[in-house]
Amino acid sequence: MRRRLLTVVFVLCFLLVPTMVFAQVANPDWWKKAAEPYKGVVIHGVSESTPPSKAIAEIAVPAFEELTGIKVELETTSWDEMYNKEIQDMQAGAGIYDFVYLEQDAVYSYMEQDWLTDLTPFVDNADLTEPDFDLPDFTSFIDYFKGKDGELYGIPFEAFLKTYIYRTDLFNDSDIQAAFKEKYGYDLAVPTTWEQYEDIAKFFTEYGKEKGIELYGHVAQAKTHPCLAYELCETIWPPWGVYNWGINLENMRTSVENGGTLNSDTAKEALGWYVDMLQYAPPGVRTYTWDEAAAVFGTGIIAQGFLYMENLGWLAHDPDRSVVIGKVAIDIPPAKPGVMEAAEAGEGYIGYYDGGAWGIPYCSKNKEAAWLFIQWCTRKEWQPEFAELATTVVRKSAFEDPIIDELNVAMGGYYTVMQEKGHLFAGCPPLPMQTPLNELYLQWISRAVAGEVSPEECLDNLAKEADELMEELGY
Amino acid sequence: MRVKKTQVWGLISPTLILMILIGVIPVIYVIYLSVFKYSVFSKTGMVYVGFDNFRKLVFDASFLKSLSLGLTFVAICCLVEIPLGLLIANVLTYEFKGKGVFRTIMALPLAMAPVSIGSMWVLLTNPDVGPLPYFLGKIGVDYNIGVNATQAFATTVFMDVWHWTPFVILTFMAGLASLPKDPYEASLVDGANRWQTFRYITLPLLRPVILTTLFIRIMDTFRVFDEVWMLTSGGPGTATRFVSIHLVREVLRSMNYGYSSAMSLFLLYLTIVICWLLLTFISISQEEV
Repeated sequence: MRRRLLTVVFVLCFLLVPTMVFAQVANPDWWKKAAEPYKGVVIHGVSESTPPSKAIAEIAVPAFEELTGIKVELETTSWDEMYNKEIQDMQAGAGIYDFVYLEQDAVYSYMEQDWLTDLTPFVDNADLTEPDFDLPDFTSFIDYFKGKDGELYGIPFEAFLKTYIYRTDLFNDSDIQAAFKEKYGYDLAVPTTWEQYEDIAKFFTEYGKEKGIELYGHVAQAKTHPCLAYELCETIWPPWGVYNWGINLENMRTSVENGGTLNSDTAKEALGWYVDMLQYAPPGVRTYTWDEAAAVFGTGIIAQGFLYMENLGWLAHDPDRSVVIGKVAIDIPPAKPGVMEAAEAGEGYIGYYDGGAWGIPYCSKNKEAAWLFIQWCTRKEWQPEFAELATTVVRKSAFEDPIIDELNVAMGGYYTVMQEKGHLFAGCPPLPMQTPLNELYLQWISRAVAGEVSPEECLDNLAKEADELMEELGY
Repeated sequence: MRVKKTQVWGLISPTLILMILIGVIPVIYVIYLSVFKYSVFSKTGMVYVGFDNFRKLVFDASFLKSLSLGLTFVAICCLVEIPLGLLIANVLTYEFKGKGVFRTIMALPLAMAPVSIGSMWVLLTNPDVGPLPYFLGKIGVDYNIGVNATQAFATTVFMDVWHWTPFVILTFMAGLASLPKDPYEASLVDGANRWQTFRYITLPLLRPVILTTLFIRIMDTFRVFDEVWMLTSGGPGTATRFVSIHLVREVLRSMNYGYSSAMSLFLLYLTIVICWLLLTFISISQEEV
């Protein structure tokens, strides 16, 4: 009897979820009317299986289908498979997908190939755009999805930082603080220089060994995988003062002799530091991608590191996956002298502002229906709840919501950092060729990480080959 | 009954059409692409370059290294799997307690998808929580495939041997079961010992089976991908970046379609040469038998 009752309650809850979302719709009549011509149409989309995409697939899709009668088939798959699927579709002009995930760093490639539909005419069409859509309400992250003449190719639905995360329980422990001060002569606090970061990493790794506990002062995504090259380009080099992947964006060359900074002394020093720091990470660090780096942090054996903040939601809330709930805080990364000033002046940046948008392929067969769904996922009144589900904010108005204040506490001040220091971070520079470039960077950097070549040899060869690749690709 | 030519063509035409669609046309397309400089990310579009892509292959150090790594992997795997398979297949011709159970357990890896095998070995060899590093650490071996290139390479070989030796055993067992009994009876009468029987009767009679199995294993190991991709993704550095992994990276990540088409054709040519050599050996050995 009790089991039957529980089943009934479960089914009712399951049915209520879309209804609750439905209840939050500000203008349901408009949605019904706008979707009327497309009722029964099936639209197909593809995205990476990240928390935001999963929240959309599980919550937004059923509610949208119920309200509009438009059926949505959303595939959430691995990052590389998603790319292959959408690129092959757009390249062949097959029209399999009606909306696709546009990662910020990949959007330039798509724009260069004319694979995307300009959304500006849709925005201007009152029959298809909800009156409260409010484009200016989106944060400046939307600018990354604009073309040279201001045309709009993507509507952001996720945006997050890759930044510094640390364990407050360890940093605030009085015994640890005393031991640190005794050893290094200054207080244990959020590092502002790379030397301090290294001291803290070394301290916690040694502390773990001394106490016989599994604890490390650093984590990285050092597997032979595209994530390794991204980590250097996005997280390590910028706060050392090497921007834009070491590329001179005026002539698209990387080597110092051609005006780039990829094989500069600073880039070599930073790479050497990165490789050296792996000794303070868990033994398996060279098998970690971005997923494993976050997962290992969640097991509680890491004191500090740099993570993609899309993981912060489950790190701060999910007891099945995280033992560090209520024990983490977020801050900006350390920086070399002059970098912070350059970032404040808009001449540099200290870290990566990542995220993605929904775009409509040029070959989509149901562009209008897809546009309605994109608006649905990014509509204003759903954003605070979406932030709760997926740790992501793309609208300015969402920051004003009390839910965000509550989340900010649980997430160690992440939204404060995002709001107040977000301008110091930047997305990927406009590099339409970033995919093959990343592969080339990976080939050489992975060899340096494996000790096959020195950082100097690695970057000299990489810069030479990157310049050749740029020339070959017509840049 | 006399069958008309038109009937014959009518019967085989569906298969022929299918083969042309899925076999011949893609190969022709690859040949076509191989003479172009063509990358999805190129501003210049498709540019005819003749045989430049093939010329580039000869001087491409990373391709040559991955080719050499791939061939080394093929050689080591085959050198281990064939003798080991032959040995176990021979042992299994004798009756012993638990033989049935052993045969069943032995064949289990064959039923698993290569991706699952790769995932399983990822867990087994995980430097943080894997049982292999843990137990090897107990006997003083610092095992970490994320750091040590030799260990990573050896692990990929071991994984392939573990996965595919059962296949070799099964083919040899089938071969052994089909051998004629007369030569064995004659050798018994002549007083030959077990080694002499194996060396002078079993091995020569089994040669076509051995060569055929070797042929299959060379092809399979040369194009190994799933397991190694899951386990190491070609790393650490370039330690396990076999030619198949190198090719997939060129196609899927660099999207350098012209050059990777040339690479594919070169590998196809290499495979055909190896196949032809082995088939010649098999034909000769069958004539001798």
